Amino acid sequence: MDETKSNPEPLDEVTAGRLAQLEDYIMKNCLWQFHSRSWDRRVQNEGILSKTTQILCGEPVDTGTPLDRCHWADAVVMAEEFQRRCPWLTEMPKDEVKALMDALHKHLDYILIDGSLNLELTDQHY
Amino acid sequence: MPYHEFECSKCIPERKKHAVVKGHGEDLTSALPLGYLNTIPGTISERGCAYCGAKHVIGTPMKDVIHLSHGPLGCTYDTWQTKRYISDNDNFQIKYTFATDMKEKNVVFGAEKLLKQNILEAFKAFPKIKRMTIYQTCASALIGDDLNAIAAEVMEEMPEVDIFVCNSPGFGGPSQSGGHHKINIAWVNQKVGTLEPKEITSDYVINYVGEYNIQGDQEVMMDFFKRMGVQVLSTFTGNGTYDDLRCMHRAQLNVLECARSAEYICNELRVRYGIPRLDIDGFGFEPLGNSLRKIGLFFGIEDRAQAIIDEETARWKPELDWYKARLMHKKVCLWPGGSKLWHWAHVIHAEMGVDVVSVYTKFGHQGDMEKGISRCEEGALAIDDPNELEGLEAMETLEPDIIFTGKRPGEVAKKIRVPYLNAHAYHNGPWKGWEGWVRFARDIYNAIFSPIHELAKLDISKDEIPGDCGFKTQRMLSDANLPDEVRNDPTLRQYTGKFDCLKDLRGKTYPVFERKTAAAPAAAAV
Repeated sequence: MDETKSNPEPLDEVTAGRLAQLEDYIMKNCLWQFHSRSWDRRVQNEGILSKTTQILCGEPVDTGTPLDRCHWADAVVMAEEFQRRCPWLTEMPKDEVKALMDALHKHLDYILIDGSLNLELTDQHY
Repeated sequence: MPYHEFECSKCIPERKKHAVVKGHGEDLTSALPLGYLNTIPGTISERGCAYCGAKHVIGTPMKDVIHLSHGPLGCTYDTWQTKRYISDNDNFQIKYTFATDMKEKNVVFGAEKLLKQNILEAFKAFPKIKRMTIYQTCASALIGDDLNAIAAEVMEEMPEVDIFVCNSPGFGGPSQSGGHHKINIAWVNQKVGTLEPKEITSDYVINYVGEYNIQGDQEVMMDFFKRMGVQVLSTFTGNGTYDDLRCMHRAQLNVLECARSAEYICNELRVRYGIPRLDIDGFGFEPLGNSLRKIGLFFGIEDRAQAIIDEETARWKPELDWYKARLMHKKVCLWPGGSKLWHWAHVIHAEMGVDVVSVYTKFGHQGDMEKGISRCEEGALAIDDPNELEGLEAMETLEPDIIFTGKRPGEVAKKIRVPYLNAHAYHNGPWKGWEGWVRFARDIYNAIFSPIHELAKLDISKDEIPGDCGFKTQRMLSDANLPDEVRNDPTLRQYTGKFDCLKDLRGKTYPVFERKTAAAPAAAAV
């Protein structure tokens, strides 16, 4: 089986529950993750989730290019909503936040790209 | 998320993979309806054609343009008083419609001369209009008329005019979506970058893309942008002008509303000009508020967005909540064409209290289904390109209180006593913005609790007609089971806006914000 198409490793119950809350917010309220091609989705996932992680951890965020600023705008709103809806997030140590966001990133890459049933994702043109 | 097989479509086994039920604990990798495929022989689709998608959806909302169909007269019918993409220039684009009226002899002998004659006559009839779009149809495509050559010839003879040609015949795709794609690419190839903006008036410049000014939606959103001090360089395409749309390359940000019909041009502008794409929701209090905040954040003016959010929410929330209390758990089939299945699926549930029991799309792609299924609640039936019998079966099974759809399936619904709202053209829009969202809730309320609709449920050929009770008003119907504290809640109220909520916007003045950078020549502004 192609490694890239397998679902990420199973998580413990608490982490899985927390990840599900974050995923539920994104899938119900965001649009940035649904660009039309695989390569676009990977750029979006990487750009916005990494910036969200930096915001949640109080780290500096690169907003140097227009694309960075666009990703950052989505990330700021998402980080605020995460903190509002998931109070436990504000009390988590930074390394745990990073681990959780990393698991979220892997999971979204799977359901939106590598495990996606959307046949248009691999079209070479827009 | 198992596939759903309709009883009526068992004789068309290919249809099975076009419908799924959203199951508990499942995600998009479990099942996803097929989409954007040719309609299966044996099923009667409610889709439009690729010419329709190019012209009637995207091209014609441009307001200062002669929109000419090169084909038989019937192709252009839908432009005449059947669309509701209004404009602030007296609706020129829907008031007049133009077709070359190709006949059999033109098919035999060619229609290029006819086309040129029509172009010249149209410009002569409307001497103030200097811009034109020409749309290929099946007939003119099949005989091989060279529209681009004729347009070039006219532009050479009349240097004051500019003409755009869209080669998207009806057969050029599985549905209208093929036409969306073609006209996006044609516009960016032919016209973007051929003109510089007259003036850059703000430090914050956007293109507002995938917005068609249905009953004034664009004008509502423009009000917010102006209050934020954001210059909208062009709107693609509702209430937009031809020349503004040639200047799209000078924006700093593409704000994308209907990704189904217009993501292509945003993607191209990103690749060719480095302009990022921000997908937004213009519907619903919270999604719209977050969308304005993101635009504000991008430019560093989020405080201006927040001020609008606070003001509008305080003004309209008590009215939205009045309707929410009365619409709670009403069952909705959300059956629009493309993007509204995901623009609305979550937020009508969250902010109006209704339960979405089904989503469908006529011409959406699998990406639209990914969004729609993600946003609706568990148990919802998701259908791609349903035929009329499937629609009927779904309504009989799901027993919705209302459906939001187009006029063709809507009329079918009415025949089985299910009220419908026109999801494409609206009833009493605009539905965007905070006030618009309340107007949408009011339309839902009026449809579900219509006393006339109650009467329509009785079949005089077989039902007993009650003669011992009076006429039931809307409030008697909607408030029958409401607790007293909700029914008499003094903090809630029905819609108090004006019948025409656009009139005041058109004469409104806006604050002038000090610019950080000195006004620069437009060409060097970005």
